[in-house]
Amino acid sequence: MWELMIPLLAATVQSGTPILFATLGEMMTEKGGVLNLGVEGMLAVSALAAFVTSMYTGSPWLAFIAGGFAGFAMAALHGFVCITCLGNQVVSGLAITILGLGLADFIGVPYVGLPAPGFDPFPFPVLSEIPIIGDIFFKHDALVYVSFVVPVIFWFFLKRTSLGMHVSATGEMPAAAAAVGLKPIKLRYLAVVVGGFLIGLGGAYLSLAYTHLWTNGLSGGRGWIAVALVIFAFWRPGRAVIGAYLFGGVMAFQLRLQAMGTNLPSSLLLMLPYLLTIIVLIISAARGRRIDAPAALGTNIEPEG
Amino acid sequence: MSGFNFVRPAGFRQLPEDAKPVVSLKGLTKRFGKVVANDGITLDIYPGRIKALLGENGAGKSTMMSMLAGRYQPDEGHIEVKGKPVRFQTSKDAIAAGIGMVYQNFMLVDSMTVAENVLLGQEGSFFVNPREMEKRVGELAKQYGLAIDPAAHITDLSMGERQVVEILKLLYRESQILIFDEPTAVLTPEETNSLFEALWRMTEQGKSIIFISHKLEEVIALADEIAILRRGRIEGELDPAAIESKADLASKMVGKDVLLEVDRNEVEIGEPVLEVKNMNGLGLRNIDLEVKKGEVVALVGVAGNGQKALVEAVTGLVKPPIDTVFIMGQPWRKFFAESTWNRSMCYIPEDRLGLATLRNQNLVDNLLLTTRKGFAKGWWLDKKKAEKDTIDLIEKFDIRPGRIHALAWQLSGGNLQKAVLARELYRQPRLIVAEQPTQGLDVSATEEVWGRLLQARDMAGILLVTGDLNEALQLADKIAVIYRGEILGILPTSDPETTSKIGPLMAGVVE
Repeated sequence: MWELMIPLLAATVQSGTPILFATLGEMMTEKGGVLNLGVEGMLAVSALAAFVTSMYTGSPWLAFIAGGFAGFAMAALHGFVCITCLGNQVVSGLAITILGLGLADFIGVPYVGLPAPGFDPFPFPVLSEIPIIGDIFFKHDALVYVSFVVPVIFWFFLKRTSLGMHVSATGEMPAAAAAVGLKPIKLRYLAVVVGGFLIGLGGAYLSLAYTHLWTNGLSGGRGWIAVALVIFAFWRPGRAVIGAYLFGGVMAFQLRLQAMGTNLPSSLLLMLPYLLTIIVLIISAARGRRIDAPAALGTNIEPEG
Repeated sequence: MSGFNFVRPAGFRQLPEDAKPVVSLKGLTKRFGKVVANDGITLDIYPGRIKALLGENGAGKSTMMSMLAGRYQPDEGHIEVKGKPVRFQTSKDAIAAGIGMVYQNFMLVDSMTVAENVLLGQEGSFFVNPREMEKRVGELAKQYGLAIDPAAHITDLSMGERQVVEILKLLYRESQILIFDEPTAVLTPEETNSLFEALWRMTEQGKSIIFISHKLEEVIALADEIAILRRGRIEGELDPAAIESKADLASKMVGKDVLLEVDRNEVEIGEPVLEVKNMNGLGLRNIDLEVKKGEVVALVGVAGNGQKALVEAVTGLVKPPIDTVFIMGQPWRKFFAESTWNRSMCYIPEDRLGLATLRNQNLVDNLLLTTRKGFAKGWWLDKKKAEKDTIDLIEKFDIRPGRIHALAWQLSGGNLQKAVLARELYRQPRLIVAEQPTQGLDVSATEEVWGRLLQARDMAGILLVTGDLNEALQLADKIAVIYRGEILGILPTSDPETTSKIGPLMAGVVE
């Protein structure tokens, strides 16, 4: 039994990692009060940016950071449209997705099928010796280990720093933040670009660790799952980890089933993560937890007067 | 209503001879377009005292305090803090000068704790510790005798507790002058008591309180000094110890000087169009009221004494008890079930840009809001005719700017009110319910609205709800005075003694 389960759970952690980065990025953005539906497009662009950087510089770490900055740049564009120009957040986000997917496909044409240096798995010293846990969590690439720390930092930022409090206040009630002398516009930009950076790291993971080569459609709907997972997680980083691994598990399981050659049609299996998305949203709604959303989410800060 | 039982812990406090004002307003004037909201306001605020600012809705209280709190800049005059002239560009400047304001709608982050809200923006360090923050806020609350759990989330708090959080925010920022804008509007009597106790304790620690209200009882019970504001001017300052009666204060607040007169011709009085019979409930008691065709009945009273409930019941916004309201001879239920778009009832609400019109729609669409059925041709809407009629109305009522595509929010208060009036009169109503129809309007617009309402008597009876006594005296045949949900008297305006009788009734004094 364990011989079957451990590889599956290890694969779960690996395929959950890019979703985790993207979910935390979207969560940061929404904490500041901005809805970003451009995650899918941002994943594609940052995956390509990371891949190209890695190919030309040969440095996966530099490429990882480059992916983050690609997400940062796309998020800044979204921020400019929504925060400065008071554009509709849903429309801008959808435009970012369409733009990002198209851009990545177009620029990526000459690179399709080419390999680039990426991250390879290595057993984490000491911790990988732990039975079962070590096999599941500590025999991955370096980026997975990074992803273990990010939710903790994220939580610490929100709950234990004044800047985190300011960002939350901006997402809840910008007028209250402004009334005590904070700068809601700047804080929103901060949340949007930092969130974009995290989403970009998720994209980078796809081309640098998940695969080591460039293909079209690498984001594969993970961006949309991340948007839904933020709701599933009730805007809490700890629950984002659970959600990301749940979806990673379904994706890994679905791949395995296909590999084992079941009689089930593959399109039905590919549907599984999205079916789970819908179920998760229905459960969240049934539990009435929408109230946990930042109160000002999706509404722009109108200038006074 | 206000059933608080606060008693001054130390009786009336005398202003020491050598007291120096901590803040002085010197001739502040503020205009919004043609309307003068504040006209040469001069006022001194002393440390350790509670200054009540009494005035009706629209008297200019909020404008004045917004200037003090740095939200507006005065057009003329200036503010002095401890004898030095200051200029506040933003509310931040005012807070830095020690002036803080508790607004009517609280500025709190619901999902955060009390401590987080109080310290927001004032944490003092990058890393924060919830326990330590709660301890700091707990100590502050204790110092001023305010009962609050610093770890509680705002969502779980009552309105009174939320107000305490707002007060703590100001105290933490070491505000010396705390302004309260209608603070008891959302409080229960018990909460009002504890607020007053807290205000008193704060003055004992040297803070100055400015208490804005239109509730006479509260002002008399709490204040060290009372300033009366009417039509943008300080009408007088009183010592509460020297106030003879509530009636005296009430008449000072609403005033009885005639500022504007209209000629009103006699109109033939017809059948009753509105009858309210022995209505109890919705905060109202034993209401009997009749409005006949050709008649204007004014409902006056200090705001918040049940006017709103009565208007809402008559206009169909809330359901009155059965068999109490009859419109055009029909019971309420039947009337609203069968009501037609014209020759019926129309409502001119106080809230012009919220209830009466849609701010982002043009004049044609706003006309169609209540007259749609008049332009319906089966399934289709005759937009051409609506446009043509809007143009006619704009001309007839002189609504500026004279474009049908102007949006509601682009119109000035007077023009918007004229547009609402034009629309409602277009329906050839039989009963008009007009709520504060000239509040905030300049003299010429007021005259225009009055003239139109008097003209409408040819076809309709009018229920006029107003806080402006002069308006009631100029327009009405009868004046009904409401106090704590009860009509204390219905007086004919033809009787010269009516004017002097209204003040006492408004304060609840029945001889």
